[in-house]
Amino acid sequence: MLKVHNLRKRFGGVKAVDIDNITFEQNQLTSIIGPNGAGKTTFFDLISGFTEGDEGKVFLNEKNITNSQPFSIARQGMVRTFQLTKVFDRMTVIENMMFSGSNTKNDSLFRSLMKLSTQKNNENLIREKAFEIMKDLNIDHMADSYARELSGGQKKLLELGRSIINDPKILLLDEPLAGVNPKLAEEILSIIQKLSDQGITIIMVEHNIEAVMKISERVVVLAEGSVIADGNPEKVRKDPKVIEAYLGSGNE
Amino acid sequence: MTIFLTTGSIYLVFILNEEGPLRILFNLLTFAGIYGLAAIGLNVHFGLTGLLNFGHASFMGVGAYVTLLLIPHAAGREGEITDTGLTFFPALVIGIIAAALFGLLLGLPAIRLRGDYLAIVTIAAAEIFRLLVRDLESVTGGVYGIINFSESLQIYKPEFLINFSERFELNSSQMWVGLLSWISIFIVLILLRRLTNSPWGRALRAVREDEDAVRALGKNAIWLKLQSFMLGAGIAGLAGVFLAFNYGSLQTTTFVPLLTFYVWAIMILGGVGSLTGPIFGSIIFWVIISETDRLAQLIFENANGQQLAGVRFILVGLLIMLLMIFRPSGLLGKKEELLLDVKSS
Repeated sequence: MLKVHNLRKRFGGVKAVDIDNITFEQNQLTSIIGPNGAGKTTFFDLISGFTEGDEGKVFLNEKNITNSQPFSIARQGMVRTFQLTKVFDRMTVIENMMFSGSNTKNDSLFRSLMKLSTQKNNENLIREKAFEIMKDLNIDHMADSYARELSGGQKKLLELGRSIINDPKILLLDEPLAGVNPKLAEEILSIIQKLSDQGITIIMVEHNIEAVMKISERVVVLAEGSVIADGNPEKVRKDPKVIEAYLGSGNE
Repeated sequence: MTIFLTTGSIYLVFILNEEGPLRILFNLLTFAGIYGLAAIGLNVHFGLTGLLNFGHASFMGVGAYVTLLLIPHAAGREGEITDTGLTFFPALVIGIIAAALFGLLLGLPAIRLRGDYLAIVTIAAAEIFRLLVRDLESVTGGVYGIINFSESLQIYKPEFLINFSERFELNSSQMWVGLLSWISIFIVLILLRRLTNSPWGRALRAVREDEDAVRALGKNAIWLKLQSFMLGAGIAGLAGVFLAFNYGSLQTTTFVPLLTFYVWAIMILGGVGSLTGPIFGSIIFWVIISETDRLAQLIFENANGQQLAGVRFILVGLLIMLLMIFRPSGLLGKKEELLLDVKSS
């Protein structure tokens, strides 16, 4: 479904990402872990079009999306979230959702100026769908609040809801549990699990190892930009290279 | 409070002018209408989309120059007369479109820049525009400007306005420009209200909030910003045309950066992001600009004209400072959508 070949990116003298080959299968829940600075977020930036790679190719459903614009990648069904939540602060929660649910045609200047009835119908459909999702995420009571008034966890939920309203095929979650209290983390995990059950391919970067081991079908470990381990959680947990990367080798 | 301040400032005009307060009031309202219109355009850029545009004067200038060069006029050192041309309204439409296209032209390379960088580029572009216009004397009249163009607009002046002006000893030509600018404000606001409450307006606000998130959600943020840039530039172009007709002659010096900063002050006074805010901001601004000399004359009896002229800018600055402290969202801005976070938390 998502294939990456020889993807490399350097920042000055630092090798941020250096991945030979990796493929993400359809409908699999994959976690990417690794110490700080291992290149996880850069990897996301590269495959979602936010950063241009030095070399390498990315294929989404056999289609070359290397260096495509982020919006075009998102339209092809691969949507990402951000490590630091990026909600639209000075817009209401429902506006956040509906903006995401709306498409370019619906947003057009011409249609908006003419107040076409097709647009109105569209808007109603989008609003319904938005409320459905917000109910599932338990933020529907906040619909008319400004997004800046939400708690950190609720913002994470809003960002998640916003990214699934267009039924993406692949979801890239950058630390969906960061800064979230344990109870809400549990909730978000079960939502992610549910999305995965619904057939969305999920790739997530997360530091909470326990959570990762619990829900992932596959765990990829990055260190200094390269894949050092890859497999089911059990296998990865016992891999000596992983232990070394996390705990440091004795002779350093 | 807004209504109070506005009526209060208009009342001030009557107190301070024993002779012909109406004439002064309508002169002031004409300027307020024109600058208010420009501020509404700027609010599309900054209030709605978050674009820091410091080149607003050039959009006004493009609209004015293109329109005036298309209608009969006289230009340059010799006052070379061009007596054929379009009638006013088609020329106005082309002028507005030209301003919007100038916005596109400037936006294509510049709009990818963020925040302050865009501000620098726009202010430079506006100066380039002004200097080009000044030096292309054969086309634009250069420093000698364009004159004798008012007739194209004044032939449409309605009878009732002439009668009204005669009765109260007002300048009917200026009244006509003022009336048209306020009618334009009305129409533009109706259109903008539609747009800001629409999915398009929502998309622009999303761009204002977080461009990366917009891109990550499958929307072309650059195209949205360009559209906003063109729309605001077109509105500024319209204001520029009225400004030229109000002066009766067109000079390059009209479009110095100071014009841009006046428009910014008006927008901030009225409320960033508020649709009708710039109107009130503009009226109050112009009362201060045109009446403070008289007010200061009462206080500082021995001051000369030059010193008095400085006082108004002190007052505008003071007002903006007070406003930023007590009402940072401006007179009509929504507190929840405050853009100028002066008190960083």
